[in-house]
Amino acid sequence: MRIQESMSVYDKLNILTDAAKYDVACTSSGVSRSNDGTGIGNCKLAGICHSFSSDGRCISLLKILFTNECIYDCKYCINRRSNDVKRASFTPDEICTLMMEFYRRNYIEGLFLSSGVLKSPDYTMELIYATLYKLRHEHNFQGYIHVKAIPGASQELIQRVGFLTDRMSVNLELPTAESLKLLAPNKTRKNILTPMRLVQDGMARNKQEVALYRNSPRFVPAGQSTQMIIGATPETDYQIMQVAESLYQKFELKRVFYSAFVHVNEDTNLPARTDEGPPLLREHRLYQADWLLRYYHFQADELLSEKNPNFNVLFDPKCNWALKHLEEFPVEVNRADYKRLLRVPGIGYKSAGRIVRARRFGNLDFADLKKIGVVLKRALYFITCSGRMMYPTKIEEDYITRNLLNAGEKLPQEVVNMGYRQLSLFDDVRFDADKVIRQSGM
Amino acid sequence: MMKTVYVCTDSVTGIFSAVYDAWKAQKAEGECEIALCGFMEQQLFCNYAEVEETEKKAAAVEHMIRKHMGTLAWHDIYQAALSADAGKGDAVLGTCLAARKLKDGKKIMEHLGHPKVRKVFELSRRVGNESHFLVEFIRFRELESGVMYAPITPKSHVLTCIAPHFTDRFPLENWMIHDKTHRAFAVHEARKKWVLVQEAYDETQKAGYNEYFQRLSEKEIEYEELFKSFCKTIAIKERENPVCQRGHLPLWYRPNMVEFS
Repeated sequence: MRIQESMSVYDKLNILTDAAKYDVACTSSGVSRSNDGTGIGNCKLAGICHSFSSDGRCISLLKILFTNECIYDCKYCINRRSNDVKRASFTPDEICTLMMEFYRRNYIEGLFLSSGVLKSPDYTMELIYATLYKLRHEHNFQGYIHVKAIPGASQELIQRVGFLTDRMSVNLELPTAESLKLLAPNKTRKNILTPMRLVQDGMARNKQEVALYRNSPRFVPAGQSTQMIIGATPETDYQIMQVAESLYQKFELKRVFYSAFVHVNEDTNLPARTDEGPPLLREHRLYQADWLLRYYHFQADELLSEKNPNFNVLFDPKCNWALKHLEEFPVEVNRADYKRLLRVPGIGYKSAGRIVRARRFGNLDFADLKKIGVVLKRALYFITCSGRMMYPTKIEEDYITRNLLNAGEKLPQEVVNMGYRQLSLFDDVRFDADKVIRQSGM
Repeated sequence: MMKTVYVCTDSVTGIFSAVYDAWKAQKAEGECEIALCGFMEQQLFCNYAEVEETEKKAAAVEHMIRKHMGTLAWHDIYQAALSADAGKGDAVLGTCLAARKLKDGKKIMEHLGHPKVRKVFELSRRVGNESHFLVEFIRFRELESGVMYAPITPKSHVLTCIAPHFTDRFPLENWMIHDKTHRAFAVHEARKKWVLVQEAYDETQKAGYNEYFQRLSEKEIEYEELFKSFCKTIAIKERENPVCQRGHLPLWYRPNMVEFS
């Protein structure tokens, strides 16, 4: 039996924000909608961040859990049922009031609603649906809403929620099925991928409906996303990238988010606690590689391999790729096609586009490239302008590596602090190479 | 030949009226300049001409720019005219004159080799960035009367850039944005269009108005406290990174934001 005390909204907000903060996605992008003049709110395609918290992450949406009560016992999660934490639940009306009052003060761009599993997945999803319904139909809210689909919820509920929300996401939680079994015993891979497929099919159908009837309701117009926890299990970067790639290709996700594992629980199945903090550099490299997949026409296989399964700590994935494929360079800026330009370190997709447009009016030289926005101190080893390099350089891996490092390239904090360490009994020995290779992909 | 310097006030109407006068006098590049009242440096060997500022002249210039230089260039020039830079009038005039020399005036904003065009481009980008930041960081407070009030202290005259966004977003709210730097308001009444109002009251009344803006509604403090604690709780302690935070949210925007007060 539980004794229910009435709790103030202030306390509830604190508890349920604290419980939701490990969710990564806080984007409000992907849909453009103006107000019809009868309600409140609109959406901008690029999304709007309203503030930044002291960890440098943006605050765009009111990121809360509906409840942090949960029947599941996922090892990495602060809200697992065996943890003794303060539990609280909002009511749909409380969320609506909070939302509307925050929104009209321009504090936030919309709502991010996730939840622990209360009683059953369907019961929880029903509560989420009730909240969204009130928000959309009683308060006439036309801003951005992002909800989490609860794994295991019924198809019909996901359909109904999909017509009220802008973005839906199901957390993949961990990159492989084995890790999921180990750390999230109540979730299965199938349970997670089913709603994902459902949303994907729903979006495809809806696209045709909208083409036929312009005013038909939109189903998850901003697409779906997912997130994986990095560093709680021994997967390699290579495996993670392969999973991400197949999610983009097979499930047409908008984004895959990576969340550096933060120690909140003690459990024998989790890596031992160290003083190093969350693996932020690894997370950063994964995001860099993620961009390469989505905007730069790279494949996961090109960046990493079975033999070389982890990212270089010193160089970003693109630079690292270029150093290993020097036979492709130098690239002639005035002739090379767009895709080849994209592969040059120091040329981003914006500058590559500008180069392609600008060279129609005449040959470009290094001074022009600088104005266009190319980072020459990195690009100069890989390009020629009208057949000439900027300085006489050797195209050798060692030579370029040495020069790039000397050029005052800002090194990540983790590398700068790297040095000799005292061996300790509690060093994390579970992350050895053999084990890592034995793990299978999706 | 003596150079003519057209002197106008720091406003869009003023600058475009000056462009109109220079245009009418058929001045070529190098023969004319625009200087802003209050930001002027006296020069030798030139004539000073006071500009008579009218809406009609400004409208004529707007029409000419839209017609011959295109909507995109108009957007850049208009934003440049809103910036906080003493040389903005001259940059606008220089760009208009440079466009006259081009075969296709609509390509003018690609002509970044021209110093005046580059200046307009930079100023426009600066104003655009600042108004984008303010769209994010403006905080409304509910006054006793139920009006949503947001004070800002921008560097450029951004009110006309940000008011349309909030008109679309809050059509049923009464709100106003108070530009304290340039003493102007954007005022929106529910279900109507927004209007731009210059602070007209004199110093004696000022205290009264300031007090009026301080009188908040009952619930206001409560929601401010809620949001403050939300911002504090959402941060993950293990990932603390104030440098990254400053990069996204520069310090000078913070005095007007509730979560940093």
